[in-house]
Amino acid sequence: MMKEYFTDLEEGIQGAIRGGNSSPKKFYTLELARLGRRLYSGTDAIAWCGITAPFDLLNAMGVTSCFVEFIGAMLASTGVVGSFIEETDHTGYSSDACSYHRSVSGAAIKGMMPVPEFLIGTTNPCSGGLAVLENLACRFGKELFVLHIPQNDSAGNVRFLADQMREMVAFVSRITGRKLDNDLLRKTVENSNRACGIMREIFALARHVPSPAASRDLSNFGIVMALFLGGEQAVAIAGAYRDEFRRRIDAGDYGKSGGKFRLLWIQNRIQFRHGLEKMLEEEYGTSIIVDELNDITWDDIDPENPYDGFARRSISIPFNGTMARRVEHLKKLAREYRIDGAVNPCNWGCRQGTGARGLIENGLKEIGVPVLNLEVDCVDSRKFTEGQFRTRLEAFMEMLATRPPLWR
Amino acid sequence: MYYLGIDIGSLSCDAVLINGGSTIVASAVVPTGARNREAIARATDEVLRIAGIARADVAAVVSTGYGRDRVEERLSSVTEITCHARGITALLPGTQLLIDIGGQDSKAILLGKEGNVIDFAMNDKCAAGTGRFLEAMARALQVDIDDMADMDIGAEGKQSISSMCTVFAESEVVSLIADGAPVNEIVMGLNRAIAARILSLVKRTTLQYPDMKVAMSGGVARNAGVVRAISFLMDREVSVPKKPDTVGALGAAMIAKEKNASRRPVVSA
Amino acid sequence: MNRNKGVIGFACAYTPLPLIHAAGFQPYRVLPNVDCPDQAGHLLHDNLCPHVKRVLDRAMSGLLPDLKGMVFMNSCDSMRRLYDAWKAARVGRNVVLVDLPAVATDSSIKFFRDELEGLSRTLERWDGAVIDEASLAGSIGLYNRISALFTELRGKANRSALKGDSAKLQEAYNRASISSPEDCIDFLEALLKEDADIQQGEAGVPVYLFGNMLPEPEAFALFESCGARIVSDDLCTGSRLFSAIETGGGDMLLNLARGILERPACARTFSAERPGSLGDDVAAAAKKTGARGVIGYTAKFCDPYIARLPGVRESLKREGIPLLLLEGDCTLRSIGQHKTRIQAFVEMMR
Repeated sequence: MMKEYFTDLEEGIQGAIRGGNSSPKKFYTLELARLGRRLYSGTDAIAWCGITAPFDLLNAMGVTSCFVEFIGAMLASTGVVGSFIEETDHTGYSSDACSYHRSVSGAAIKGMMPVPEFLIGTTNPCSGGLAVLENLACRFGKELFVLHIPQNDSAGNVRFLADQMREMVAFVSRITGRKLDNDLLRKTVENSNRACGIMREIFALARHVPSPAASRDLSNFGIVMALFLGGEQAVAIAGAYRDEFRRRIDAGDYGKSGGKFRLLWIQNRIQFRHGLEKMLEEEYGTSIIVDELNDITWDDIDPENPYDGFARRSISIPFNGTMARRVEHLKKLAREYRIDGAVNPCNWGCRQGTGARGLIENGLKEIGVPVLNLEVDCVDSRKFTEGQFRTRLEAFMEMLATRPPLWR
Repeated sequence: MYYLGIDIGSLSCDAVLINGGSTIVASAVVPTGARNREAIARATDEVLRIAGIARADVAAVVSTGYGRDRVEERLSSVTEITCHARGITALLPGTQLLIDIGGQDSKAILLGKEGNVIDFAMNDKCAAGTGRFLEAMARALQVDIDDMADMDIGAEGKQSISSMCTVFAESEVVSLIADGAPVNEIVMGLNRAIAARILSLVKRTTLQYPDMKVAMSGGVARNAGVVRAISFLMDREVSVPKKPDTVGALGAAMIAKEKNASRRPVVSA
Repeated sequence: MNRNKGVIGFACAYTPLPLIHAAGFQPYRVLPNVDCPDQAGHLLHDNLCPHVKRVLDRAMSGLLPDLKGMVFMNSCDSMRRLYDAWKAARVGRNVVLVDLPAVATDSSIKFFRDELEGLSRTLERWDGAVIDEASLAGSIGLYNRISALFTELRGKANRSALKGDSAKLQEAYNRASISSPEDCIDFLEALLKEDADIQQGEAGVPVYLFGNMLPEPEAFALFESCGARIVSDDLCTGSRLFSAIETGGGDMLLNLARGILERPACARTFSAERPGSLGDDVAAAAKKTGARGVIGYTAKFCDPYIARLPGVRESLKREGIPLLLLEGDCTLRSIGQHKTRIQAFVEMMR
């Protein structure tokens, strides 16, 4: 079923692109469909991973790898997530837990997760995600390698993580029989650096007033791009976005939203279909122009010493470590993008992301940026009552309309 | 000319009619029931009847509440957060912080001088700290919800209710009854549990509340025990207007008047 | 040794108590079972671990002894958020977050050793004594003595020879977690000398207890009044904090790091070689102690346990050992509500 779904999706998008209906989002979705098809092909060597695994390194070793939350998001976006979550509930897995992880667990129980060659767990971002990888390793009877991501980039910490990544390469080699080719590693690092360079350009363009970024353009972009790093496709997707944003600015084409208010979306988006973003754009002239999880870039990785670079990158992700770092990142985004207000979905059950709701709110308020806490389950559409969230967002818009402009 | 505000809530549909001088001419509260449109028509008819005016005398209608988009004749719809803020400023000028507890939502709203919303926080999705929670507890206590308002009197605050989850709290109340805890202590415990939730919402909007003029609106503001508990925890007087459940509709009527004034004449092509 | 340098707070059973003691401080566990107003939700989120929220409530209400500093372990998302909120609630006070690997491998034990070394530098900055191999070995020895005394106490409780039974044992754990090890050894030795009154009536059904936070002695009294006899526990607030550290010579910090990481584990630590082994471990421990059933008690919203409980359920089912899972919010009231199901569980096993 999944293989067919991704094959159909891939063909559909290819058809649309051939028919002249192309956009950066289409290129991006096409690559997602291809990744999905490979995951379910039954022939590729695949690995289930934590969100902050070094996917470029795994790609260079010819392993089709993906973080498990991707499956949760996909089940949500196709509107079938409910039955998978229920399957997990039946095992006595508490409904207080994150729905990404509950849906992934349900997919595994229902035999909808392909059996991997191995699994890579990461301690960042969350305890729940690592626990799910442990459970999957047990269910599949496959080996699990755990990457401990330290809290800061002290020399000792970078060395520790770089060593773990070397061990991880040896682990993958032992299981797959594939060696990491040095030339390919160098090429991979160069591609990652190129993609990251273009991403910096994209984000610089998105900061333009008015912003060329419409609400849906970059949703899930940053976190999913990590899966394509190291390959040419990451460079191509990023390039398409950059060129399109540049074109929009040159043409003064800012879409349906007049850019009245510029919103920052905290953490991840709502993964199922809903009308809130459309309502914001069409009724309030407001766009989400940046996501906390999108504008994350890192220093170029030295091809001569890639492991230290990979380690530094993993440690530097702002949602790693203490909340102070994350709040500083959010403040920086708010200033750079001249944000009028921030929306925190407070994804139900996410202790890592939502746990410090009050600290995030206080941090942004310090620089005058109001925060709306939605309290929504971003995956389980059965719990979604659009009216309640509309009211909260509309009231937020009404409030922004009465406030003196922050940045102008 | 008259201006009509309609607030379609989950439990009741409220209408307030004001005149050109912003004075309340009539108000009505009818149960929402299963059909929003019928409730809207009944509330509207009721205020027109009380005021003794015709529909044509109403220059503009603004709707609010969860069913706000169901009012066909509206000039516009505005959320209840904005409307409550405007309404309370008309009734109790100078209010800086408004606590609104309705059937399924509770809110803390920080107000500017003109009744504009500076910030607000709403309850999490569960019913803790809302009218629904109180209803469930009244059921567990086997008392009438209206009678609960004064049942805390004479209690000393000896009984705390630790769980705010409606299901857990209900069984907690049942076991307290079984243990022979006095009902007035249980009721005070429940009121204070709600007040603690509300205080947490308040603190998310401002920590300056001890110096603020605080008011309360929404159906639960009719429950004097809850108001007392909030006042106790905030160590602050909490004012309640005479008809706390029509504050949103009044705000909507005020906004109707304002929007009508800035309405441009329609130019036909 | 230079003692009485003050009190250092902690909240997690992975805290290296001997290290804090070797620096001249008295470790003090900030337990959640203290009555104070619920206000943590304004800095954190209401659906965060109640243990963490209650500890923060204590800090926000000022219900703490005079602390020279607070040591947090990076044991789970909730603990990390507690560290963040603690900093906001107690601005300018000494606080540190010590990283804690999720798996015990040679390299992660070495990493944790370096974290402990970092902690000893931090403790020095907080006016602690300079820790050397001898002082650390001395402190580990004291805590190992406590561990041995607790083993004896558990044996005594198992023979129903401990006055006050498992509630008394839990009281001792609580007292030990807020006392200096020297005082602790004294009162544990005195406790061992007391004998229980001869008990009448039906003997309790032997039950193994696992989970995270259950510091309330009243909970244990409840288990017993319902006819369950707790034969052994694996709880953050029970035996785990006081399990012995093998010294065996060599680098003491490394010994301490290994000892802590290889202790009976809370769900947040696991073996990558044996994924999903918590269930089998619980079943094995239950069998070893002769328990007829298992009670799992966890604080609500605990992701590490939430994810592993289905596996524990499966393992116990395979072994034919009955399991009762209870969830609480670190209040006595929530424990009291479980009375009927505990009774029914015991009746089922009789």
